Amino acid sequence: MIRFATYVVCISLLIISQRCAPSRFVKPLAKKENALALNLGGPLIHYGKAVTPLPLTSLMYGRGLSNSTTAFGSLHLTSALFGNFQTDLGVCQRLYKHDSLGFGITVNPAINLVYDKWEGNFRAWPQLDLNIYKDIIHQKGFVYLGLTNWFELSSKKAHNEAQSNHVLINPHLGFSYNPKKWSYSIECKFLEMNRKNVPNVVDYVGINQRGAVGIYLNVMRKF
Amino acid sequence: MERKNTYIKYRHCEDAGRSNLNIWKIASSRKKPGLAMTSLLCLVLLLSVLFSSCLRLDSNLYNPSTDIKEYQLDHYSGEQDFILDASYSIPDSLIHQFSLFSQAPGESKATIIRAIYIGSIAGIQSDTVIMYCHGNKDHMDFYWQRAKLLAHVSGKNRYGVMMIDYRGFGLSEGKASEEGLYADVDAALQWLKLNGLSGSRLMMYGFSMGTAPVCELTNKPRSLSPAKFILEAPFASADVMANDGSGLNMPGSFFTNLKIDNAEEVKTIQQPFCWLHGSADNFLNIETHGEVVYKNYGGSYQEAHRVADADHGEVPEKMGFSNYLNIVSTFIRK
Repeated sequence: MIRFATYVVCISLLIISQRCAPSRFVKPLAKKENALALNLGGPLIHYGKAVTPLPLTSLMYGRGLSNSTTAFGSLHLTSALFGNFQTDLGVCQRLYKHDSLGFGITVNPAINLVYDKWEGNFRAWPQLDLNIYKDIIHQKGFVYLGLTNWFELSSKKAHNEAQSNHVLINPHLGFSYNPKKWSYSIECKFLEMNRKNVPNVVDYVGINQRGAVGIYLNVMRKF
Repeated sequence: MERKNTYIKYRHCEDAGRSNLNIWKIASSRKKPGLAMTSLLCLVLLLSVLFSSCLRLDSNLYNPSTDIKEYQLDHYSGEQDFILDASYSIPDSLIHQFSLFSQAPGESKATIIRAIYIGSIAGIQSDTVIMYCHGNKDHMDFYWQRAKLLAHVSGKNRYGVMMIDYRGFGLSEGKASEEGLYADVDAALQWLKLNGLSGSRLMMYGFSMGTAPVCELTNKPRSLSPAKFILEAPFASADVMANDGSGLNMPGSFFTNLKIDNAEEVKTIQQPFCWLHGSADNFLNIETHGEVVYKNYGGSYQEAHRVADADHGEVPEKMGFSNYLNIVSTFIRK
């Protein structure tokens, strides 16, 4: 039974690691400012009788192109361990900011690229994140609410079957604490809320048999 | 705000008429975190390169158990999908346990695997034999009730039933592998052939992972080419597994090197095909796995049995044992 649980965890780890990371940037960096972040976390799965988050990791670098636009790129470390080169490249663009209310809206268009060294398979999935944030500790902490959307552009899936999932919607809620140059964030996602999670080889912890709940930690250093 | 503070500090130094050295120190202290982070980045990238591709799921995809000293068959008290009543008992004289040598292509030595044959060995020369390929769990004790049930197709011990533990499962030696699955089942077919079985009297039956050797050895026969084949709750491919798990068109090669691809193999199989699948299969989805395999079949005769409310492993019980036996018997006799 333990081995079977390990099997399910491994399957989950790999399948989910391809598409799991917290919001890269909720607030853009200042112009010419740099940031390096380590992300840890993943969806919750049933492990035997327990529930555990999958420890997925990725490393991200970002740079402020202007005070309202930040470019970023990442390397998914868990995927790399399994022979997959995976990155997501994108920008964080501020759409609206209200200084006195400490409120703002940002959008992160990005592209996820994955290449496996074993069979040379390559996939690209566009992603669009939308975030609304509100400062709750002056200059040091904010909460945010948003949607991470992945888009499957292929009309086919395995064995030329028709693909019916074209938009995967993942709402999230997070808190970010930013003392000086460091930033610590925790984010809770409801992954694929628009998709049933049974039947499936992976035993996700979802809500009402839909999607999977994920917990993510993010540590960022600006310089 | 941080940038602004730094600027103020810088201005303060200038205003105080301090030396350029102090200014350099401030500038230097600003660069240190950047250098540290760059070093960390380089270290992580280096580790990523060093350890990249060092893991694959393949060995974790198998789910055997080896914590037994002997097969207990009817006396097995571990978890089982169902337990038959006494009317399905098999005389001890018709239960044969033995070892086989299995050697996959490219292997330098054979692996000893364990087998059970239910029926009269002398009768193999004239009887129909069902080669039962079990699923990805534990060992033959777990599947004994299923093999025993198949020994009642068309009447008690009317047909012989052969079952093996793949390498790495139960008391079979070695380590589970995809090529090992095919070699081990073929070793059983070689033994049947040596005892007088011809392909025209061979029925292949695969459950779950066991559908992989059935499709492989029916599509590309080695020792014997079966007359017909039955797939219960078939696995379509690693691609389907990845698609189901991710919701995206993700290839299976992103997490495994498994080449099992029943959905493609059945396209070129000509032998008559019987498919059984539970409509409530929570492990191998009937829509994404079973229906695809059934639809892709390229031969001339196929029949489908979608079993209402049956989960993975519940097909015979939810159908009713006599109904299940009748369906298998009718298909074999057709």
